[in-house]
Order: sequence, then C-alpha cells, then structure tokens
Amino acid sequence: MPLILTHMPPIHWALAGAGIAAVTLCLLLFANRRLGISSGFEDVCSLAVTLPYFRRGSVRSGRQWRLPFVAGLIAGGFLSAVFSGGWAPTWDLGMLDQTLALGHAGKLAWMFVGGLFIGFGTRLAGGCTSGHGIFGLSNFELSSLVTTISFLAGGIVTTQLLYRVVFHWQG
Amino acid sequence: MLLLYALLGTIFGFILSRSGAADYNYIQGMFLFERFQLYGIIATAVVLTAPGLWLIKRVGRTATGRRLEVELKPLHRGSIAGGLLFGVGWSIAGMCPGPIFVNIGEGKIYALAALAGALVGAGVFGAIYARIQGLFRLPPLALGTREG
Repeated sequence: MPLILTHMPPIHWALAGAGIAAVTLCLLLFANRRLGISSGFEDVCSLAVTLPYFRRGSVRSGRQWRLPFVAGLIAGGFLSAVFSGGWAPTWDLGMLDQTLALGHAGKLAWMFVGGLFIGFGTRLAGGCTSGHGIFGLSNFELSSLVTTISFLAGGIVTTQLLYRVVFHWQG
Repeated sequence: MLLLYALLGTIFGFILSRSGAADYNYIQGMFLFERFQLYGIIATAVVLTAPGLWLIKRVGRTATGRRLEVELKPLHRGSIAGGLLFGVGWSIAGMCPGPIFVNIGEGKIYALAALAGALVGAGVFGAIYARIQGLFRLPPLALGTREG
C-alpha cells in the first residue's frame, strides 16, 4: 500500500527500525538524554502557561533539547515531502476519506478530539511510543511494558470498533 | 548542541515520514492486524536499541565523558489509564506524538488540529495534576510522571 504523502511504498521496516535505534542511541551517547517526545507538549505549554506544573526543573531542562528536536521532526516531514515531488498542503486522510468522508471542519474536529486523548493520556502515562515503547522497553522498564501494552490495547480496540463495527470496513 | 538535537530530530522525522509511522492508513492497518509494518519497526528499534543501551550504560559515560543519567519511569495507575487513553487518541488521529509534528511538516493541515488538541490535553493534565494525583497514585508534582 502506498503512503498518503509520497504515493510510493514505505521503506522496509527493518531499515526504519535500525534508523530509529541509531537516533535513540546517539541522543543518549552524545547528549545524555533519553528519547521521549510527548513531553514536548509540556515544553510548548511551558512557553505560555505559568502553572507550577510547567515550571518544574525537568521541564525547564528538558525543553532545551526537546524543542529543537521537535522542530527537527517538522523539518524532517517537510524535507520528506520536498524530496518526494514537492511540498503542498493536503487534507488527504486515506481510509477515513473512504469511510467517513468528513469535510475540512469535520477533520479538524476529529483530529482535535484525538489530540486531546493523546496529550492527556501520554502525560498521565509518562510517555508515548518513543519514551515507553522504544526507550523504556529497550531499558527493560516495567512501567514501559505496562504502558505499551495499554496503548496498543487502546488503539486496537478503538480501531477495530470504528472500522469493523461502525464503518463496516472491507479491507 | 542545538544543531545536534535539530539534526537528530530531522533524521527521526524523515524516517517516520517514509516508513509509514506517520501515515494514517498504516496506523489503522497495524490496529486492524492487516499490516505488519509498524510492529516490525517498533520491534526492530527495540531489539537494536537494547544491546546498545546496555553497552552505553556499562561504560557509564557519554561521548564527552559526562556521567550517564538514565532516569527510570515510575509505575502507577496512570500507566494503564494513560496508556489506554493515549491508544484511543492514536487510533482516532492515526498519529502518535512524533508523527503529529512530522505530519505538520509534510503539509497535512489537519495535523495542526491534532497538535492543538494534544497541547490542550497536556495543559489540562498539568493544571489538574494535584487533584488527580491521589486517584492515579502519581509521583509528587516536582517530579511529575517523568520525561518521555
């Protein structure tokens, strides 16, 4: 199946996994930082919100590396688009367009709701796919195993309900 | 160092973009058990990171000679509840936190709404931390649920 962005197949999963491992290890070896992206939401919040939670030492220290890292993520997506035939704004949502066919406002609302769950859930669990799923599991942390099983379960149940029960998706 | 962080982020973002990790269809395909791609990516990343991590911890120093600091994440009720909530969001948006930023860079306009939602979600969590601390047995506010 081609990617929504490039209309080409993705790179091999083993190559992608190896690249992610290399970045994770470089971050620790050269910068003494454990990979984790969801705290970036708190870092951005800390720029505008003055609540005690966002003035903690770990936020003020962590945002010094995480904000440029997150800016890099945006740049990486941008470059990926540029090198695959040019960057252009898009509303393309693949399977969701074939099932629910939301308008622009509907897509924004859908994504905002998804974002609420992501922002609150990742911070409650103390990490996401990167901090728990990749770094935490690689470090044999029990909390990461519990969290990873939980978010995979949450995703599997939600998608199965949405696509198999609500949308009657025929794959 | 700023450049190093930005460079590592750019490489990471490019890989997420081209691997399917930032692609709505591949995320749903993973949760529908129709595509192995994402499971393969995460498993490979863990299998290769684990021995490297073990080695770096054994040496105990970074490349510049600083003492290595790897803070562990605590286990609490929020690990399960937060994980489940995040999973629901990952399914709805088809993005986890990294790919939200990658999709914005790719030009997927709706990803901006996912980011707005995530910022509000994290903001609300920070605002009510002291109130839900007992319910989820969370660490003291000064420590938080740790970085990740």
